[in-house]
Amino acid sequence: MAKKLRQVAIYGKGGIGKSTTTQNLTAGLAELNKNIMVVGCDPKADSTRLLLGGLHQKTVLDTVRDNRQNVTLDHLVKTGFAGIRCVESGGPEPGVGCAGRGIITSIDMLENLGAYTEDLDYVFYDVLGDVVCGGFAMPIREGKAKEIYIVASGEMMSLYAANNISRGVAKYAAKGEVRLGGIICNSRNVDRELDLLRAFAKALGTHLVYYVPRDNIVQRAEINRKTVIEYRPNSGQAAEYRALAKAIEENDQYVIPTPISQDDLEQLLMDYGMMELADEFDI
Amino acid sequence: MANSLDQQRYKCAMGAMQTVQAIEGAIPILHSGPGCAQKIGGGSGSSGKFSPNIFPCTSVSEKEVVFGGAEKLATTIDNALKIIDAELFVVLTGCTSELIGDDVEEVVKRFKGAEKPVVYVNTPGFKGNNFEGHGWVLQAIFDQYLPPAGVVPKQKGLVNIFSGIPQQDPFWYGNLRELEKLIASLGFEPNTIFGYGRGLESLNKIPAAEFNIVVSPWAGVDATKFLGTKYDTPVLHYPVLPIGAFETTKFLQAVGEFTGLDPEFVTSVTDEYEREFYYFIERYSDLFLEMRILSKRFTVIADAQYALAFTKFLVNDMGMFPNTQFITDRTPVQFQPLIAEEFKKLNYDIEADVQFLTDGYDIHQIIRGEEFGGFPLIIGSSWDKKFAAELSANFVNLANPLIERLVVNSSLVGYSGGLQLIEHIYSAGLARLVL
Repeated sequence: MAKKLRQVAIYGKGGIGKSTTTQNLTAGLAELNKNIMVVGCDPKADSTRLLLGGLHQKTVLDTVRDNRQNVTLDHLVKTGFAGIRCVESGGPEPGVGCAGRGIITSIDMLENLGAYTEDLDYVFYDVLGDVVCGGFAMPIREGKAKEIYIVASGEMMSLYAANNISRGVAKYAAKGEVRLGGIICNSRNVDRELDLLRAFAKALGTHLVYYVPRDNIVQRAEINRKTVIEYRPNSGQAAEYRALAKAIEENDQYVIPTPISQDDLEQLLMDYGMMELADEFDI
Repeated sequence: MANSLDQQRYKCAMGAMQTVQAIEGAIPILHSGPGCAQKIGGGSGSSGKFSPNIFPCTSVSEKEVVFGGAEKLATTIDNALKIIDAELFVVLTGCTSELIGDDVEEVVKRFKGAEKPVVYVNTPGFKGNNFEGHGWVLQAIFDQYLPPAGVVPKQKGLVNIFSGIPQQDPFWYGNLRELEKLIASLGFEPNTIFGYGRGLESLNKIPAAEFNIVVSPWAGVDATKFLGTKYDTPVLHYPVLPIGAFETTKFLQAVGEFTGLDPEFVTSVTDEYEREFYYFIERYSDLFLEMRILSKRFTVIADAQYALAFTKFLVNDMGMFPNTQFITDRTPVQFQPLIAEEFKKLNYDIEADVQFLTDGYDIHQIIRGEEFGGFPLIIGSSWDKKFAAELSANFVNLANPLIERLVVNSSLVGYSGGLQLIEHIYSAGLARLVL
């Protein structure tokens, strides 16, 4: 019997740690003997750097740019840590063209070339920043990814972006199978972050899948172009990412999110983030 | 729920390639997907040396969408300059290139030193229609091609005239020539840029003009005002295309006042025109007064130019009474009050209701609910032919789209244009007769 392929898209505010989280998470899943492909959906093409030990040199869209003929998957799919297949969509130079359309083009091309093989357990789409236009919603829109996880922290703008992304998910969920699998907290050590993220997830009708604590070892692993799991397999942080992988593997809560209003979002921050500060001014 | 538009009577902004094509020696370069040139064609008088079939086009595809189409545009302009024997190249952008944000200005600036001038204008279809595009094209040419003020010496008595949109207005050619004749009869030298024998020579004379006249309710008005500012020359915006004796005399008086002519001289000119006009009216007055082939009420479904011009003529010269009039050109909101006001300035204290509506279904529904007291007179486009037949109307098709009437260079403007219009209208009425 063919395995059921889980297609997962990771969204979140720019700089929140989507790529780092995705790569460490997939490293953890690979240790559970899962067959995984990671598709970087960012014109910067840096979503698979830690798995490959350096930047992927050939993006899908490079082949379109150069009018290259007879392109095969071998040109585009590189195998990284623990057998994870890595693809970068690539895109135009900053300020020109349409990167959103580029993602649509490159995913179409991957499909045509047969990248989605039957032995895969997971395909992860690591999508840049906010869902700024239809192109970046491609993995959700065309039913490619059925599970969405949003990486967020306790910072205001991160929650704002997460709420916006859930609007996009809700929109496409109405006509297809896409569902929000939950929120992954990539901690920034903000006051009462765990409580805030739990409350925020609840408000969206979902749950906090995992709370990844902040640890400088992540930074050191990145400088060494490795995931934490590869760089310090016995560290506490590696154990956290393995636990995150397990939480994703065992997740069974998929919902159509209920985005909240800006006022409700700000109230949430007041309730959780501002309490101590407010006390300081209490004369 | 999304609105749909039934019976579109204009094209997208890029349709303004018509405006470029009407300037002899100028050719559009289209930065768009393949096929946009097909907007014009189909018997509207667009064939010739630079037909839409040979307009250079970047034919943007997925690759240009993803990576930007600037370089493809650069090579297209470069090659067009090499192989096309044109005097002026006008780059028009389509929806795709505008959505992805290609920096067309930067690309066109690279050709500043080229042997032939290259200008550009942003004409994405989502931004407006070809009525607006017409003005944008004119303004782009005035701004980027024409020299700054002070370079070309002024020529006394030279008057720039702008009016109907080439091809979109089926009578643009004849009307423009008739306006030239009218202005010339006041002793001026008219300067127009569209059609045979005009082209770049006339375009180059624009800065020399003493006056600018734009005969149009709104299309091209801003571009003409731009010209007035650029060369510090006065602009007469005359919203009513003059048809028939009453309106044409009024027009010539307005031009006389604007240019400071002796009113007695103007009257001597208009009197002679009127004598000839009424000579014909008199000869056919038995038909007009006794055969009673037409009832009194009419409606016009056309762009602002013709809705207004026909209404003025039918009320002021023909003594008919207006039902609701329909303007279908998506008139910008800021011009609507001015135009609606003109419909209130009719003789005998008559005022016409006017609706700015683009949807043919909505328009027909309103007309169905109105009383005409006999066979209505409906002046409209080919879209209205079947509907008019349902109402047993006297139907005259003069507005765009016009598929079953060929208009080459005939005119509806001026004293003679009024007589032409009478021919059209009474022919529709007389067509009921059987020998």
